[in-house]
Amino acid sequence: MPDLVAADFVVIGSGIVGSTVARKFAQAGASVLILEAGPRVTRAEIVARFRNSPRRSDWMSPYPPAPWAPHPIYQPESNNYLVHAGPYPYEAEYIRQVGGTTWHWAAHAWRNVPNDFRIKSLYGVGVDWPFGYDDLEPYYQEAEELMGVSGAPNTGSPREKPFPMEPVAEPYAMRRIRERLVPAYEVVTNTTARNSRTYDGRPACCGNNSCQPICPIDAQYHGGLAAQAAETAGVKLVPNANVYRLDHDERGRVSAALYYDPDKVSHRVAGKVFVVAANGIESPRLLLLSASDKFPRGLANSSDMVGRNLMDHPSTSLTFDADEDLWLGRGPQSPSSIGIMRDGPFRAEHAPYRLDFTNISRVDGATNALIAQGVYGDEFARRLRYSAARELNVKNVLEVLPDPDHRITLSDQSDPMGIPKPETHYSIDDYTRKGHERSQQDFRRIAELMGGSNLRFSKEGVYANNQHICGTLSMGSDPSTSVCDQWARAHDHENLYLAGTGVLPTCGTCNSTENGLAVALRTAHHILAEHKVGRVPAPSGSG
Amino acid sequence: MSDQNTAPQNEANSPGVTRRCLLASILTTYTASLIPWALAQSVDDRDQGAFLAVSAIIAGRQTLDTHLAKRLYDALVADDKNFPAMAQQLLTLINTRKIDPLHLQRVLDTEKSPLAGVPRAIAAAWFLGIVGSGAKARCVAYEIALNAVIVSDVLKPPTYAYGVYGSWIAKPL
Repeated sequence: MPDLVAADFVVIGSGIVGSTVARKFAQAGASVLILEAGPRVTRAEIVARFRNSPRRSDWMSPYPPAPWAPHPIYQPESNNYLVHAGPYPYEAEYIRQVGGTTWHWAAHAWRNVPNDFRIKSLYGVGVDWPFGYDDLEPYYQEAEELMGVSGAPNTGSPREKPFPMEPVAEPYAMRRIRERLVPAYEVVTNTTARNSRTYDGRPACCGNNSCQPICPIDAQYHGGLAAQAAETAGVKLVPNANVYRLDHDERGRVSAALYYDPDKVSHRVAGKVFVVAANGIESPRLLLLSASDKFPRGLANSSDMVGRNLMDHPSTSLTFDADEDLWLGRGPQSPSSIGIMRDGPFRAEHAPYRLDFTNISRVDGATNALIAQGVYGDEFARRLRYSAARELNVKNVLEVLPDPDHRITLSDQSDPMGIPKPETHYSIDDYTRKGHERSQQDFRRIAELMGGSNLRFSKEGVYANNQHICGTLSMGSDPSTSVCDQWARAHDHENLYLAGTGVLPTCGTCNSTENGLAVALRTAHHILAEHKVGRVPAPSGSG
Repeated sequence: MSDQNTAPQNEANSPGVTRRCLLASILTTYTASLIPWALAQSVDDRDQGAFLAVSAIIAGRQTLDTHLAKRLYDALVADDKNFPAMAQQLLTLINTRKIDPLHLQRVLDTEKSPLAGVPRAIAAAWFLGIVGSGAKARCVAYEIALNAVIVSDVLKPPTYAYGVYGSWIAKPL
């Protein structure tokens, strides 16, 4: 099979992380190729799909999987792409298309709090990261400047420089929550990659209230913009290139990526440095698929740690009716949080959590509930307006500890291209469950302070997933318990790097994208310095 | 206006016959009292008339978009060729038993009526703009679905701009 293409840097995955590191390499003068399994899709197409969807609350409905590069969907019925070995189903959602999964994120762009990096040392649980908050701080700033992050300083994450933008204007409902919960709780404006003013040629938020599944005006940053920026910087991006194997030479260096096009014609791409950035499930899957005589467990897997320590953020929630009209659905979807339980000595005993208030319109949900109850006639409008005005929802965002038994493996089932599907092994442990139990008193207190009635707790034992896939490529100092080192280089292969939320050793209590991106930027700077590619600028956030 | 919905079922299908009629002609005093605004509404035939009458009763609105009504009706018929007959039967049931719209679904569910799915299908069509279920579900209306219209003085349908930056900080009403 001839080498059809060659590049200095080959990046697998065009999501926000893969595209951003590729852009860094191209800006330094390297030749860079991104291989993306899925197709190109435009923002206008996604908006139209959403408006025409019969399942508007199913945020995957505007993102149907490509037959040649499927991703998991569960409605109207599961496509069974992700195999659940249990005991608890891990129903991950992600998107295989140019730009990746952040097309439909809530744009939460949180930093960890400093103690998240040392939970083993401080609380005797989980693991410590191979570096600390201060090491990552300039790369957080760089990520925030790239994405255009707005936020307030009272979130527990210290910073050397101000946010690129002021916090997004607080919706009336969130103002009332903040006013009524003080002094019991400090409600803070979420840190988000959402514009509070024109930024980088994109407009300020206009309150379209469809941040998930799609911002129709690009007021929030997403991977599609990152991919576009990478191409502008000179990166060659090949869509519909489903990488199914990485080859290596006799020294164990990765030598080529092999991909199928939609007709299942195989192509081979050679490179000097490879970065796998295909998300927390597809990246370990690819490494496992690349087993060889020399590496029978797959690449980067001499420690048998690839795919292990799968983490996410499970949530339970409370919905209730406030005693005043608040009308969720005006402004962005996810504006405010309570962070007081993100850190403390209690982490030795139970999961920390962030409490998150939704501002998603209640109209469709209330409509479905009223139809299910058979509320017709004049009464329907009255009841709909009441629910739309009064319903509130608060959820916890619980930390999960790394556990090697929670993992991604290869299934004995194959996808339509004949490639083994990913399989999940997952459960909710006592640490997380105790965090859920502790949060119930916060739920009740918040409802009380809001004059709440008709309290509806989420079903006991059922945890919603937040699609923050972490841990499956964990970085660490000990090659026997981690996949890659602090620079995200695979312990087993000198020219193989890993990027994305999979490398995060713990998941903390905040959405994982900014952590994944900041760590990847740190990796990119290291790679450029080590490989002496072009000029190596300091991170924009430094100094 | 008749006391019973007893018109021949095949009249509208006879070739050469002018099929348009007034909705009032298929309502009883009771159902007419539920939707007095609709009495003079002209419909293509009695099947559509039954659908529109039941729609009006379920929706509880003072007006219904006739263009949307046609599209919803066509979509519902495409899913189930028996839908017109079932809508007729449902209207007859409401006419004869004088069922309050608020109790309609409970009555049908309690009696395990074969018509129990009809009001829910009509309600989903009008309130959500969605016809069908599961893999066959499709969106017929979005921003003019009634649930969007009912709150349109306060909210915009998701993806539509609420207003200029920061306009959402004000008290809504």
